[in-house]
Amino acid sequence: MIQFSNVSKFYDEQIVLKDISFNIEKGDLVYLTGPSGSGKTTLLKLVYRAEHPDDGQILVAGWDVAKLRQKTIPFLRRNVGIVFQDFRLLPNKTVFDNIAIALRIQGLDPRLINEKVNDALNDVGLKHKSHALSQHLSGGEQQRVVIGRAMVSKPTVLLADEPTGNLDVETADIVIKLFKEINARGTTVLIATHNRELFMTSGRRVIFLRDSAIEKDIIP
Amino acid sequence: MRAFLYSCQIAFKNLVVERWINLLTILSISVGLLLFTSYLTITLNIDTVIKRWGTGFGMVVYLGDGLSMETEESIKELLKQDSDILELKYVSSDEALKELREVLGSRSSILDSMEANPLPSSFELKLKRETLTPIYIEKKAARIKEMTGVEDVQYGEKWLSSLNTISVVMRVIAVLLGAAIFIAIAFITYSTIKVLFYRRKDEIETLKLLGATRSFIKMPFLIEGLFIGGVSGVISALSLFGLYKFTVMKFVEFLPSIRGLLVSLPLEAYIAIPIAGALMSLTGSFFATGRIRY
Repeated sequence: MIQFSNVSKFYDEQIVLKDISFNIEKGDLVYLTGPSGSGKTTLLKLVYRAEHPDDGQILVAGWDVAKLRQKTIPFLRRNVGIVFQDFRLLPNKTVFDNIAIALRIQGLDPRLINEKVNDALNDVGLKHKSHALSQHLSGGEQQRVVIGRAMVSKPTVLLADEPTGNLDVETADIVIKLFKEINARGTTVLIATHNRELFMTSGRRVIFLRDSAIEKDIIP
Repeated sequence: MRAFLYSCQIAFKNLVVERWINLLTILSISVGLLLFTSYLTITLNIDTVIKRWGTGFGMVVYLGDGLSMETEESIKELLKQDSDILELKYVSSDEALKELREVLGSRSSILDSMEANPLPSSFELKLKRETLTPIYIEKKAARIKEMTGVEDVQYGEKWLSSLNTISVVMRVIAVLLGAAIFIAIAFITYSTIKVLFYRRKDEIETLKLLGATRSFIKMPFLIEGLFIGGVSGVISALSLFGLYKFTVMKFVEFLPSIRGLLVSLPLEAYIAIPIAGALMSLTGSFFATGRIRY
């Protein structure tokens, strides 16, 4: 589902990712970890083509990401749900609208949008807050809106960048539980985190990045 | 279609949210369009006056000395065939002399000292008003002058030439002013949409990451531009009509004989003003949203 083959990325002269190769199968839930600056966020950005690789090949759900034309990129991104570290919610819009936008972009029927968004709101436990403005929510609630938005279009791949970074332990547990549920429905999930507690006892595959390269790839 | 409807919804929401900047833009564009359309109305009126004066001139075709009756008849026939000539009057040299004596009155005795009649025979022409322009009259005079037996053609060339120059200058200014107004309106909308685009930069970035196409992102801004230009056009058209009615009313007050002489732009032009405004603003919006890169 996600395949990196000898991928390298530079910012100016500085190397950010060096000769990265791995393969994540369909339906896997994988943790990506490493110290700050090790290249976790850049690696995720390469998956949804916010960054272009300088070398190597990236295949995501059958798309050759490096070779995508500008006008094709949106269609790749519709297949990749993203949970951003900084949430990236639309200000002055309700919880409902924030989730619905992922479907409106695709030009879906409003009745279908209504149905799917309500399902997503139920899944993330925010049905009662559907008319609340996103900026009036707590951090944990905002994170759940982001997850709802990422999963509402049933993407084949879900990426999460430090999804529990700003959350307390209890809320973090709820969020991780949500990811597991999404994964159980067949979505491939890749979570970038430096929180060791999340993956140490998870029994899931963990890719360790250090100094811009893969240090370890633990497959249970 | 659904994406378009959603874009309309977003555009109108943004128009309300950013109402002050949009209102200012609408006012600026309305003033620009009103200036241009007012100028067009003035040009149209001047053009109408020029046309009226130009076609009001009579044309006199002077014949050469000693022409045979046949030649004069053939000239008359040729002139009669011209559909632009409304009336044709032959004035013999004797009749011309008689008319001159009448004009001179008591001083006509100065003509007695002349041995022969110095005045040529002529045709006095009256041309149709509706279709003739000063340039056309000038060309027609030149064609008549080329006829065998015609010595000269007089029609008030200097007047026509001056009026013609005024008409041409007015039209050139209209084109230049039109181009300037087009650029100004496009630029005003460009600046406004650029500001609005910049204010929603983060939102646009998020939409791009969620898989929004360029058209989905740009559409609300284009609709906003289209609406701003269209509304400005409507305001400008209504203001122009009001201004025209007011001017006519005031002119007639001071100069009652002018009643019915002042003309307004045709209805089509009033309809075209909002369309033109919308298109000019759309151009500005199109450039303001630029090339979206992922």
